[in-house]
Amino acid sequence: MLQDIIPHRHIRYRTDQAATLLIGRADEEPVDQKKTLENICQSGCAKPKHGYEECVKRISGDDTGTKHCTGQYFDYLTCVDKCVAPKLFAKLK
Amino acid sequence: MAGGLIHQVLRRKLQSQSAVQALSCFTSRKANDDAGSAGMRTVALLGAGATGLLGFATVASADEAEHGLGVPNYPWPHQGILSSYDHASIRRGHQVYQQVCASCHSMSLISYRDLVGVAYTEEETKAMAAEIEVVDGPNDEGEMFTRPGKLSDRFPQPYSNEQAARFANGGAYPPDLSLITKARHNGQNYVFALLTGYRDPPAGVTIREGLHYNPYFPGGAIAMPKMLIDGAVEYEDGTPATEAQMGKDVVTFLSWAAEPEMEERKLMGFKWIFVLSLALLQAGYYRRLRWSVLKSRKLVLDVVN
Repeated sequence: MLQDIIPHRHIRYRTDQAATLLIGRADEEPVDQKKTLENICQSGCAKPKHGYEECVKRISGDDTGTKHCTGQYFDYLTCVDKCVAPKLFAKLK
Repeated sequence: MAGGLIHQVLRRKLQSQSAVQALSCFTSRKANDDAGSAGMRTVALLGAGATGLLGFATVASADEAEHGLGVPNYPWPHQGILSSYDHASIRRGHQVYQQVCASCHSMSLISYRDLVGVAYTEEETKAMAAEIEVVDGPNDEGEMFTRPGKLSDRFPQPYSNEQAARFANGGAYPPDLSLITKARHNGQNYVFALLTGYRDPPAGVTIREGLHYNPYFPGGAIAMPKMLIDGAVEYEDGTPATEAQMGKDVVTFLSWAAEPEMEERKLMGFKWIFVLSLALLQAGYYRRLRWSVLKSRKLVLDVVN
């Protein structure tokens, strides 16, 4: 935890504020907000994700090269996008 | 009876792919037999049309990648009926365009002077324009010469012509971005989704060397590589330059470039819709006032038997 690294204060830091407050860490790599939100939204899209993984398993033995999982992939991405889109801009400047 | 025949044809189409053959024998049989066969021919034609439409439909919807993944709607700050652009975002977006996109994409309809008062001051814009070299002329000796840019100059083109652009980009032409958010369906959301949407292809899909997978691009294989990488640009105002932030800023810039009149248009629209609504109420009242004479007439039919 960051509280272990920085000297003990009676102030609670939020993780992102703490990152910028650390001396000499001004060039802390900013984490992409969309990726973070997508990771969070994955849990709400378990059903299409499962559908995609099932499809991957189904076509894993395919040699013809004609089978693909675009449909299931799109279903999963649509679900994630629907979750991410309303929340993303609030995190951006 | 004619409807029943069409239903029969449609059902057969849904059951098997050999409906075209079924229809043709249906057509030939019916058309030849009846004396008054004109009606039968129209039925057959209608059936053929329905079959053709259905056949086309099953083939077209089979591949979702063809249309590209549906784009979500993002809550753009300038989206409301009386909302203006975020001009700080336009300024950052122009910086992203200049440093990331301008090496391949032209914006030949935008001049430096358009930026004055929108994203930069006049001095800043003059300094920015002076950094580029522009071919001008002919001079008094009849020769073309190069000079530093002025406010009135257009944004510089990365390639001299389309062929040079295609040659440098594996045959693909990086489109001019002056109007791109108006030139694509749901342009603002589409461009943002495209720029931030590069992913691994799904299982079973391989993209050839030189192309990259992007689900939002129709067909899925786009020539442009992922350009927005975290930290690619260092913003003047210190905003952390993440992929999503750069995407939002550059799309705001592109929206402004395509629709610089948006703010004035919204103000004008709001004002005139209000004024014309009042005028409508006034006109409605005045019409009813003048017509009241006629509408309150009483006609008496005086019939003597």
